[in-house]
Amino acid sequence: MILLESENIIIRDVLTDKFARPSSVDQTFTDFDGVAYHIESTKQGPITLSMDIRCWSDLAKTGALDIIKREYGDWVRPETEPDYSITLEFDYAKVPPLGAERDALIQSCSLLKRNAMAAPFERAFSLQKELEAEVEGKATAPAGATDIMPIHYRDDEAIYVIPAADRVTVVFSTIFKEETDRIIGKVFLQEFVDARRQPSIQNAPQVLYTNREPPLEIRSVPGLKRGEDVGYVTFVLFPRHFQHPEVMARSISHIQLFIDYLHYHIKCSKAYLHSRMRHRVAEFLKVLNRAKPEQAEKERKTASGRTFRRA
Amino acid sequence: MSRSNVIVLDNGTGYTKMGFAGNSDPSFVFPTAIATRTTSAGDTSSRRPAAPSAGGTSSSSLASKRGIEDLDFFIGDEAYANAKAYQVDQPIKHGLIENWDHMERFWEQCIFKYLRAEPEDHYFMLTEPPLNPPENRENTAEIMFESFNIKGLYIAVQAVLALAASWSSSKVTDRTLTGTVIDSGDGVTHVIPVAEGYVIGSAIKHIPIAGRDITYFVQQLLRERGEAANIPPEDSRRVAERIKEDYSYVCQDIVREFRRYDEDPYKYFERFEGEHTVTGRKYTVDVGYERFLAPEIFFNPEIASSDFLTPLPEVVDGVIQQSPIDVRRGLYKNIVLSGGSTMFQHFGQRLKKDLRAIVDQRLAASETASGSHMRSSGLEVNVISHKMQRYAVWYGGSLLGSLPDFYSYCYNKQDYEEHGPSIVRKFSVFGGV
Repeated sequence: MILLESENIIIRDVLTDKFARPSSVDQTFTDFDGVAYHIESTKQGPITLSMDIRCWSDLAKTGALDIIKREYGDWVRPETEPDYSITLEFDYAKVPPLGAERDALIQSCSLLKRNAMAAPFERAFSLQKELEAEVEGKATAPAGATDIMPIHYRDDEAIYVIPAADRVTVVFSTIFKEETDRIIGKVFLQEFVDARRQPSIQNAPQVLYTNREPPLEIRSVPGLKRGEDVGYVTFVLFPRHFQHPEVMARSISHIQLFIDYLHYHIKCSKAYLHSRMRHRVAEFLKVLNRAKPEQAEKERKTASGRTFRRA
Repeated sequence: MSRSNVIVLDNGTGYTKMGFAGNSDPSFVFPTAIATRTTSAGDTSSRRPAAPSAGGTSSSSLASKRGIEDLDFFIGDEAYANAKAYQVDQPIKHGLIENWDHMERFWEQCIFKYLRAEPEDHYFMLTEPPLNPPENRENTAEIMFESFNIKGLYIAVQAVLALAASWSSSKVTDRTLTGTVIDSGDGVTHVIPVAEGYVIGSAIKHIPIAGRDITYFVQQLLRERGEAANIPPEDSRRVAERIKEDYSYVCQDIVREFRRYDEDPYKYFERFEGEHTVTGRKYTVDVGYERFLAPEIFFNPEIASSDFLTPLPEVVDGVIQQSPIDVRRGLYKNIVLSGGSTMFQHFGQRLKKDLRAIVDQRLAASETASGSHMRSSGLEVNVISHKMQRYAVWYGGSLLGSLPDFYSYCYNKQDYEEHGPSIVRKFSVFGGV
């Protein structure tokens, strides 16, 4: 497993099960980036799925609610559950019958977090089109189109999305709490930048990595952290990455899981190092065992001078 | 994030149960299995050096691995689905983790693929079998803290969690951590006495009769009755499992049960309808005596096995008699069932009845031995069954993990770095009254 999937398996499993056999349920669970879910239902229904996402206010500014409405339509409950950002409600009677339609609904529900997080990206992509049109003199883009859209999706890490006339720049700030993680992460990100030089992935977005100093694009943002443990990863997305709707959907899914992807791989690298270390230790032990001096069977004598052999 | 950031991971020999504390069911239950490409690093390195390793070639190929081979693996049900192209390994044997490389990678996917949690933000409650060597705990803590940077860790003994799970039963009035746990899964049955949250290691008994043996026994009964002719051979095991799970129950008196069946077979015989997995042909099987004979092997093991002949109630009584005298009363009073093979209907009642008989007999004997001068005040025997029995250990973990003072009993990353892995040799018990 190299890439993390965007769908939440628990949502998928629970909804599949409950739509088939309505029964009461009350579960809370989480997703990456501190997202919390709550599924609740009685035997008669309706079943509600609530999501709490830390950066909801940031997302709402970029039109997340519209996207949620577009994706889930009537399933969105107007009043959200207290402490949660979005609530979807399904009446067991209204759920589409078993088949492709229901599967599609379940699939899209399991992508709830992805869809909410997609808002700033979609907005940036559409703004880019307007900006491009403005450069060509066809139309005027709305004021403030090139403003930085910050998404504070974790306590001290954020994504900045900056639309421009010919590109959309996405900057991640990363903070590693642990020394080892920081070093492995640094190597990993450096590798990311280098890997792009290979001819086979020339179409991939450009990646830049800076340590300590934030990149020029987001220097204007107040309160940026500068320090040894802060890193900034910049992705430059060109129109070819988001012109086709399918490619756009894929770009969005991948880019928003980037930090989790990074963390996952740091952990995998450590696990790999550990397995090498265990292997090495086992090899050394073999050598040590071979080096044990052989105990020659010595003749032992009792006080009376008789010899005996130990069993 | 304050809510639900405790993850309960119960890695058993057969199945891994995992989910978030506070929920009533684990979010995932799948086989503790990992499918890796070819003979990987894990196989050779974790074996003792003396063992003949398949080794020379695989170790050299290990060094040349520069790609992403170490990410190419599946866990759980997916592992078996990919069994053809991959090699499936079960990293836990007899409750103990044997292959740490595989376990570390197993956890990788557990956390990132299935639970989708960032270990940095979560507390983990892991479980261990009784008599787990402290070195294993240390290894677990090393992986959890150093690979995953988890926020906090608590390792609980499975039997204690099973006791905690029994608090959900309406019969339990006081939340005590003293009791006898009968944990019967697929491979082996344990009888574990627990006093005040601490396992009495010297008195633990294992019984080599568990779920798998019952399935075999059902299969054997079907074969002897000639029912097996209807069942396609490749489905035989599955059918036996279904009969065991869906139709079986524990009877209170085996002779009377036989008579009842013979008098009115139509009332008691059930019919199992199956479908051939490949051809789709329908077939039916009559389900008869095996309905009550299957779980009977706990109480009369001689009907199925020739090398283990002590009935379960006798084993339980023996275990309690071996425990310190001051806790025996508590152990008799609170006998808790856990695991899938204790789910048979009336299992608890029967166990209670048989155990009661043994205890009463002994009391009567000691009364006569004292020349009828001493009168016993009687001894309370209580077997507790509850709804959460199947995943009792996980449920107990979920229950304890959602207590507000759980966090204060965890060790966090700072503690670990201050004291080193040996810190996890001791965990205080909590939750009881």
